Amino acid sequence: MVAMNDGAFVAWLLAGLPLLGALASFAFWPNPARLKLSSVVWSAVSLGSIAGLSNQLVIPPEGLLPLYLLPLTAMVSLLGQPPHADHRLSWITTLVFLGLGLCVVTSQPPVSSVASMLLFSVVALLLYRHHSVLWPMSWWGIGTYALGALCASLSLAVDAPLSSVASLVTSAVLLPLMPFHDGHLTAVTRLPGNLPSFIVLLLPSIGLHGLATMLPTVPDVVAWTVSLFALVGAFYGAVKALAQTRVRLLLAYSSLSFFSMLWWFAAATRSATPRSALLVGTVGLATSGLLVAWQVVRTRYGDDVDPQAVSGLASGMPQYAVLLSLLALAAMGLPPFGVFAGFMGLLLSAPFPSSGGLVITLLAWLAASWYIMQMVQRLLFGLRRPELRYADILRAECAALLIVVLVLLALGLAPATLFAPDQTMSATDSITGSVVWTKY
Amino acid sequence: MLLVPAFLLVAAAIVLIGSDSSRHARARMAAYSIGAAFVGAVAALYQVTTGGPLAIRFYDLSSVASFAIPIGLYVDRLSAVMMTLITGVSVIIYSYSIGYMYQDRHARRYLAMICLTDFVLICMVSSSNLMMLFLFWQVLSYLLYVLAHNHSHAGTLVGAFKTFTLLRVADTAFLAGIAFAYQLYGTLEFQELFVRAAEIPIALSLWPGMDISGATAVSLLFFIGAMGKSAQFPIHLWLPGSLFAPTPVHALLHAGIINAGGFLINRLAPLFGLSSTTLHVAFVIGTLTAVLGATMMLAQNDIKKTLGFSTIGQMGYMIMECGLGAFSLAVFHLIAHGLFKATVFLNCGNVIHKARQEPHFPHVDYQADEGGLSRLTWFTGFVTTLFIPLLILLVTHGVLRIPLLESQGTVIFLFFIWITSSQAILTLTRLRQVASWKVSAAMLMTLLFIVFVYLGAAEAFTAFLYPNPEEVASYFKAADLPDWMFDLILIMATVLTIASWSYLYLRAHGRTVRMPAWIEGLRIRLYLPFMNRLYADEFYQLLGNGIMRLVHQLDKRERGWSR
Repeated sequence: MVAMNDGAFVAWLLAGLPLLGALASFAFWPNPARLKLSSVVWSAVSLGSIAGLSNQLVIPPEGLLPLYLLPLTAMVSLLGQPPHADHRLSWITTLVFLGLGLCVVTSQPPVSSVASMLLFSVVALLLYRHHSVLWPMSWWGIGTYALGALCASLSLAVDAPLSSVASLVTSAVLLPLMPFHDGHLTAVTRLPGNLPSFIVLLLPSIGLHGLATMLPTVPDVVAWTVSLFALVGAFYGAVKALAQTRVRLLLAYSSLSFFSMLWWFAAATRSATPRSALLVGTVGLATSGLLVAWQVVRTRYGDDVDPQAVSGLASGMPQYAVLLSLLALAAMGLPPFGVFAGFMGLLLSAPFPSSGGLVITLLAWLAASWYIMQMVQRLLFGLRRPELRYADILRAECAALLIVVLVLLALGLAPATLFAPDQTMSATDSITGSVVWTKY
Repeated sequence: MLLVPAFLLVAAAIVLIGSDSSRHARARMAAYSIGAAFVGAVAALYQVTTGGPLAIRFYDLSSVASFAIPIGLYVDRLSAVMMTLITGVSVIIYSYSIGYMYQDRHARRYLAMICLTDFVLICMVSSSNLMMLFLFWQVLSYLLYVLAHNHSHAGTLVGAFKTFTLLRVADTAFLAGIAFAYQLYGTLEFQELFVRAAEIPIALSLWPGMDISGATAVSLLFFIGAMGKSAQFPIHLWLPGSLFAPTPVHALLHAGIINAGGFLINRLAPLFGLSSTTLHVAFVIGTLTAVLGATMMLAQNDIKKTLGFSTIGQMGYMIMECGLGAFSLAVFHLIAHGLFKATVFLNCGNVIHKARQEPHFPHVDYQADEGGLSRLTWFTGFVTTLFIPLLILLVTHGVLRIPLLESQGTVIFLFFIWITSSQAILTLTRLRQVASWKVSAAMLMTLLFIVFVYLGAAEAFTAFLYPNPEEVASYFKAADLPDWMFDLILIMATVLTIASWSYLYLRAHGRTVRMPAWIEGLRIRLYLPFMNRLYADEFYQLLGNGIMRLVHQLDKRERGWSR
């Protein structure tokens, strides 16, 4: 009981620190540079507190990796943003989101559900504030988050099995699954400032947390339906990403495709293991890194810059080119980065229910090499444009991208059990439970 | 053993780290590090020959999946031979590149990439499990992309992107193979996998009434992976597409990287040996690639493309050997080809440089029309092509008492010995130069000498790589073609050889050879398609465009953000 109380206190402390940081950072509102610095420092403090106190928390089924990645990604997204008065609100909101996110992951219901509802509401509110008539589709995103908030409240108010379904829909909005993926697309493309590069990891991590506790209880028919939607989503995301020229939209669909793969594996095993967290975390982090990298281009060439109008960055911005190439490698699932490790971990540990599903998943994985490489090639290579002024990345931008690359590399090489020491899985477990093979 | 890859990493670091003023000195210094890696590889070869395989694992064998990437080295004779080949060729290529790329702006990046590619190749051939092998396999795909492209050259970028895309297609099949292997047999450790695959017969139902064995499914997927790296038809196009890269890159590519497919098949030989279907597929694909590659080579008008298609043909030949169960012969072939092609490509670089400096180079030697072939020439050719194979068969059957009728493998082995030796001797001494009995006798004696040395060398190499003769016999057995097909191939080969000789003889003596007009015209009609590489580039372009058109149509139909 004492341990439980300690755990609850630690959870409150971890969630409270970023919120406190948000309040404290308000003091620097007139000075954007100091406000940014303060936000970065509070994110670092949050990361430090998690490193120091995580051993006092109850380890969730998906392990502790998301807990470490949340403040790290917040820090990276803040670092990659240029100091400007227009971005102040997004920096403060980052800390608020971080606090709410940590609260959801570390607390128990009903506190976690209330935090989820708050998070949904703030995101929907921000989307509404930045809604433009030129983007009517963002209503769908706002509506999806409203549905998410409703389902989060329903999961508290009603009994099973309705509460399970409500929890599943909540998770599907957070960790995007067709047909509830509009929220994800809207958030990644329409949120202001650095928020897309943070939200792309935050919401899926929270969704995975909900999934880990809820999946073992769902009936077969629901799991089967989820598998089907997941496969459609993986294929749909890949196809849509192939068709995009706008970078943020491409990354949104790409992450949708990868997250759908995770849904497929999770529905097959009825669990969300630390390996699932590795995939979600690394996909989110790699996408976040690419969004930060795209922010570097937007900072130099304008918000609405067409990627086709920018080329030859490799010769003018060599440091940027190297970091962007490494991030792209990570995002398309190449070794030795974490996305590959997460994907392989799931592929080798989950008995896949059908070889057809595996083929679709692998095709989606293959497509990522195509569209991400095309995007990188378009930006970095080709002739230098005389009308463009090339300026390589600044120190803060370089630090942000370098941190992402190094963390992705470390996650690709670290043992899968590092963030969940008690949940090792024997290799031989993986061959049981397959329904496809007939042995004679 | 760990020093070999470490020296290569050190070489890359020496090239990369340091001021611009010392870059030439550092580039030269790195060559010593690569040389040290070669010495290490030779030492490893000696050690595994005398003391058996070496293994270092940094992970728990009972749970491969617990470590994100299970790092470990396993060096047996096959790995040690490949390590020696790669580092040996690398020393030469790197030393050559220092001078070749001296004034290039990107020399530092290029030389470092060469060292890194060597490092990746060494790690790949000494991987202790499939997972690690696949890891370096993929990194190699990317390195090829990086080596093959030039930032500001549109043609290079297209070629590099094509290289990467096609290699990724093959990589995906390889990944599927790994997933299936792990699902079916629960391990990615080579030896355990082979034991379990042999012990656990598994049938996979593709659809009702059509089953394939687990070993066939897995080995077929691995074979597609090998097809990618070894440029097999129809995913061979990345090789000519990457020909814009600096010439020494091609020396490395054609001498080292492209051998990855042959290495993979040899590494997994016990698994491939369990599936006759996969071996037969490999035989068909290899034959097709060899024929098409060699034919397209004849029709190219560019030195690098000619050599590129020659490599494709040779790789087809090598895969064909694997498909016939002659795994060790394939390794023997790829070593010989690697050394030969590295030499040719490095020379090719000199020729290109010289041609740029001297407008009249290459010189065209106008020679007077040569007369017809003499009787001596015909006799020598006849003995080379028909008598010597017959002699080899008689010696094998009568003296060595090998039952040829029951042993397809031996016939195949002898066939390759004959064809390779003839090719070598005819390349060195052209038939037209046979002007006297002395030359003719020397040529035939040399050929016989080469044949028997080759026979001894290939036998010794087979015994070295696969010391268990039963294992070798089992591979040949698994690759056995149906008797009627084997006989048909033999008869067709014989008829084709005799018919070709008769045709040439009659034409040379001014006799009229009655041929249908369509056959006469076929050679001319085929020239254009083969010169244009059977329009495969255009086909892939159409395919890519078709896919993208479909994608855009789907994108437009679906109410969504991209509207």
